[in-house]
Amino acid sequence: MSYDRPHRGGGNRRRQNRDDYDDRRRDVYESPADKLKAAIIKFGEVDVLEELPLLEKQIREFTPLVVPNLSEAFRIAVTEQPFKIPYYAALLRRLHDLPEETATVDGPSLGKQILEDFWKGFQAYLDKLAWRETRLCIHFFAHLTVAKLISTDSMFALLQSFTAVLEEFGVSHGRAKKAAVCAAEGLMIGGPILKLSSAERVQEIINAIQAYNDSATSPKWLTGPVVKMYSEEVSTPNADELLDTVLQALRTLDESDFAETATSFSQPYTTYADPDLTTYDLPSVLVPPEVIELDGLSTDSGEEAQVKKEEWPEYFLRLFDNDITPDPKTPAGYAVRAGLLDILDIFEVNRKECARLLIEYSKWTIPGTFKPKPGGSVVPEPVPGKDWQLESTIVENVLGAYLVLPESCHKSIYYIGVITELCKLSPSTVGPAVGKSIRKLYSTLGDGLDVEVARRFAEWFAVHMSNFGFQWVWKEWIPDLSLSIQHPKRAFMRRALEFEIRLSYHDRILKTLPAEMQAPEGHTIGEQAPGPDFEYDDPSNPHRDAAQSVLNLFRGRAEAKDVISHLDTLKATLETSDDGGVVNADALIRSIAIQSLLHIGSRSFSHLLNAIERYLPLLRSIASGGASSAGGSGNPEAKADILTASAAFWKHNRHMVAIVFDKLMQYQIVDPTDVVGWTFINRAEIKELSESTGPLSLSAFEWDLLKGALDKANGRVMIARRKITTLRKEDDDTRAKAKADGNSMDVDADVKAEDEAPAVDSPALTTALKAFASLTREQKGALSRTLDGFVSCLAPAATDLNPNPHARIVISDEGWNDRAAWDKDQWNAWETWGWYRQFCRSYAPYLRNYSTTLFTVSFVKFEGSTDPAAELLKKTWNVATGQE
Amino acid sequence: MAHVVSPLDQPSNYKDSQTRVDRRVQNDLLAKSTTLYIGNLSFYTTEEQIYELFTKCASPEDGGGIKRIIMGLDRNTRTPCGFCFVEYYTHAEALASMRYVSGTKLDERIIRCDLDLGYREGRQFGRGKSGGQVRDEHRQDYDPGRGGWGAQAQRLEIERRREVEERYQDATDGPGAVAGGGGDWKEAETSGNESRLKRGRSPEDEGEGDTRLGQRARLDEDMDAERM
Repeated sequence: MSYDRPHRGGGNRRRQNRDDYDDRRRDVYESPADKLKAAIIKFGEVDVLEELPLLEKQIREFTPLVVPNLSEAFRIAVTEQPFKIPYYAALLRRLHDLPEETATVDGPSLGKQILEDFWKGFQAYLDKLAWRETRLCIHFFAHLTVAKLISTDSMFALLQSFTAVLEEFGVSHGRAKKAAVCAAEGLMIGGPILKLSSAERVQEIINAIQAYNDSATSPKWLTGPVVKMYSEEVSTPNADELLDTVLQALRTLDESDFAETATSFSQPYTTYADPDLTTYDLPSVLVPPEVIELDGLSTDSGEEAQVKKEEWPEYFLRLFDNDITPDPKTPAGYAVRAGLLDILDIFEVNRKECARLLIEYSKWTIPGTFKPKPGGSVVPEPVPGKDWQLESTIVENVLGAYLVLPESCHKSIYYIGVITELCKLSPSTVGPAVGKSIRKLYSTLGDGLDVEVARRFAEWFAVHMSNFGFQWVWKEWIPDLSLSIQHPKRAFMRRALEFEIRLSYHDRILKTLPAEMQAPEGHTIGEQAPGPDFEYDDPSNPHRDAAQSVLNLFRGRAEAKDVISHLDTLKATLETSDDGGVVNADALIRSIAIQSLLHIGSRSFSHLLNAIERYLPLLRSIASGGASSAGGSGNPEAKADILTASAAFWKHNRHMVAIVFDKLMQYQIVDPTDVVGWTFINRAEIKELSESTGPLSLSAFEWDLLKGALDKANGRVMIARRKITTLRKEDDDTRAKAKADGNSMDVDADVKAEDEAPAVDSPALTTALKAFASLTREQKGALSRTLDGFVSCLAPAATDLNPNPHARIVISDEGWNDRAAWDKDQWNAWETWGWYRQFCRSYAPYLRNYSTTLFTVSFVKFEGSTDPAAELLKKTWNVATGQE
Repeated sequence: MAHVVSPLDQPSNYKDSQTRVDRRVQNDLLAKSTTLYIGNLSFYTTEEQIYELFTKCASPEDGGGIKRIIMGLDRNTRTPCGFCFVEYYTHAEALASMRYVSGTKLDERIIRCDLDLGYREGRQFGRGKSGGQVRDEHRQDYDPGRGGWGAQAQRLEIERRREVEERYQDATDGPGAVAGGGGDWKEAETSGNESRLKRGRSPEDEGEGDTRLGQRARLDEDMDAERM
């Protein structure tokens, strides 16, 4: 690892100055107790079954006996290495049995003592609703029930306290989903013995999960990765929803009285003789309610401003057939998926270790589950119906987790990084699995693959290729160049190449393509590197001289006020010029000034920041429409002109458009709402920039601009909220301190003032509350403008400017079935619908707070309408905001 | 979660040996750091490429994003010399880069990230004797991405090099040479005076105020030696 790198060159000289704090990682003294703990945690690295009796002996012989030390080791081992849980259950069972030489029972067995202490840890996980740790402890208990150490009654009671959550009034999907999986996985593992004890209680658990799942169908319509917009039914070939798979696997197990548990989960303890001692009763528990942190902050129009990320049904894409990778609807397949996803989640802190553990996963599965590694000494008999490919299974599951909608659990780049590490560990086996996955995903483009899934696919593709020399066999996709230019496959190729270029450079990426794709008529990659376009550089431009004069001021680092007065002079000249004056001198002056400034800042991102910072007063003056003071939120038209000029300057480079917009928002030259408005309306003015010219619609690029603006607005509210929390706490502390100090004379004036009127907020807090109010207003404005924009794109009135005539056709059954004949405008309309879905589901936590107002504002005009577009808009909205 | 494996987001044991801040304070600073040192860059890699990769660790919805990028330059030639600083708005984003991006490729080189105490004036320049990074003084291997290139074999690189050479000719040193990156959202100017009267609060203070760290001339040459 990086921090283990030895010092290089000249280390001795440098070392002289160092003090005691120098080495951040001094060797820590390891006590014998620490060593024992480490031995328990590392157990099984070579041969788990061989090590079992040795470790048992080591634990028994260790003195002094400190049970909490042992139980902590078990707790860490179980919650951080779930693949070894069956063996820890076996170890605990051995520690529970009487050692041979001991004749009499003297108090509880060692195993039981550890278990009792382990329970305290479990209770702590449950109290803070650490779901993953809770669930993995339940695995452990379920194994121990089968190993006859825990009573079936108390195990049932434990599982049923989780199914009780499903019946809570108004339970959130996230909470219900996690509780259901806890109960289900416990039952899958403990089933063989639990069902013997009470088939009825097994039924109760399954029915409770089934009942919940039946009641939660509508959100599934919005998160399936393959979209059929016209259809009410949720059918997703090649994808499975988490709770659906849980239930199917559970039912299959139940039908055979859990005979399949033995072939799905390792159970190394089943050969042990029944223990002489009595079983342990798990104490009863109650799953605590979710803590809702109320900070009492609401927007100035009274809406709740709390953001609670709502969890959705989780769909995982399948990329391979059932004989290559396991079907997660089967018990063994479910066990494999759950095992891999746990590793992916737990080892997020170290993607390299994560990849290693994934590749080693087969070691912990029942022999015959996966094909043996070629060249292995012992070749186990393949198990019929299993014998899957490990690498394909891993890649399928990592990609499945990456492509979950509306967003993955961790950042995209984490999953991408894990796949990169997997490829580095075993290029010859993982590489082909990655290639096949890419081809499979590509083949579903155009058959309803969700637009957000397609966008993430392109992102993964580009970053992956960037790590592996941009080696992709592009020529196999040459035949697809005959598809419509906006067909999702062609859009994918363009987007993937654009992302590759951002990470590399144009010429490098161009070289990787076959001639057909390099050719301009292939419309796959730009002919030239995506540079700036300063339109006033062109000698034929009538305003070239005017622009040069502005440019020279910038180059000479003239002061902002001098540039402003020069622009005023220029404007006056333009308005009174010989040929009757310029129609819109304001817009022209803005364009000249902004483009010239961007020209100065075009060398690099830092140059851009420097240019903006140096001329902030100028930019504010332009944004305010030339008014003398830069107060208020500026002039909407002037701000739209700024955005248009910026986009025109970078029309060959969408990456730069996004960066410039982001920084214009950052420096408060424009507001997020301006960017949203511009994206829906003015963007069409710049033909080069947009894939979706023609009728109003959005492609992935416009979505990125919208997302940038919305995230900015939401992020600011988040910062303001955090600031208020801190200030409130400070205020409270000050008051408490003032109280404690009584009327002591040396309290400063601030405190004294507050002491006299304790209810008054500090000035800083008052300011922060005011800022919060304007930021939530801006947030609501940006969300509202986005919703409005989508409504006018997707359900345009015949009288609208440039309506897309296909907005209604593409969502109908027959329209969709006719997609082989679709052209640009149809695909654009379809993609716009896709981004609307993503807007609703991914911003649902924010939209919920304003759902009543926004619904009224945007949808009131559809009252009583039977327009299918209006119906679908409203339905999507209602599902996302939890009203359907 | 760190009992079974070591997290990748730990700072290295690099230390600026002439800083007068003791290790404990440095550790406190690193525990809140929003800045990363990025090493082993190609001389030709642009800020936009860096921006693209590091944006993938940004959390704009949480008030984050890339605040600024400071390209490491050769002291004499004012050309990129293979390192940079990336500054985010939040600490979590810097950690995410350590976990997910450090050790992956950018521009076909494996780059390395390290948590950094924060940019100080003068640190954008290489500390090697010839103006670049120290590691390039002593390097024995042939590295086309870092100046060790053959003209015939690397035609593309020459083309890129020309652009790169021109790009930073206007780079200056001294205060204000590097953009600040913009601070948190602030109430518009007109809303006024009263908000500014009482104790100037520090959270939004962007100033590089820590003179203990900043003001010493620290052209010691080990700056980048250990950091590749």
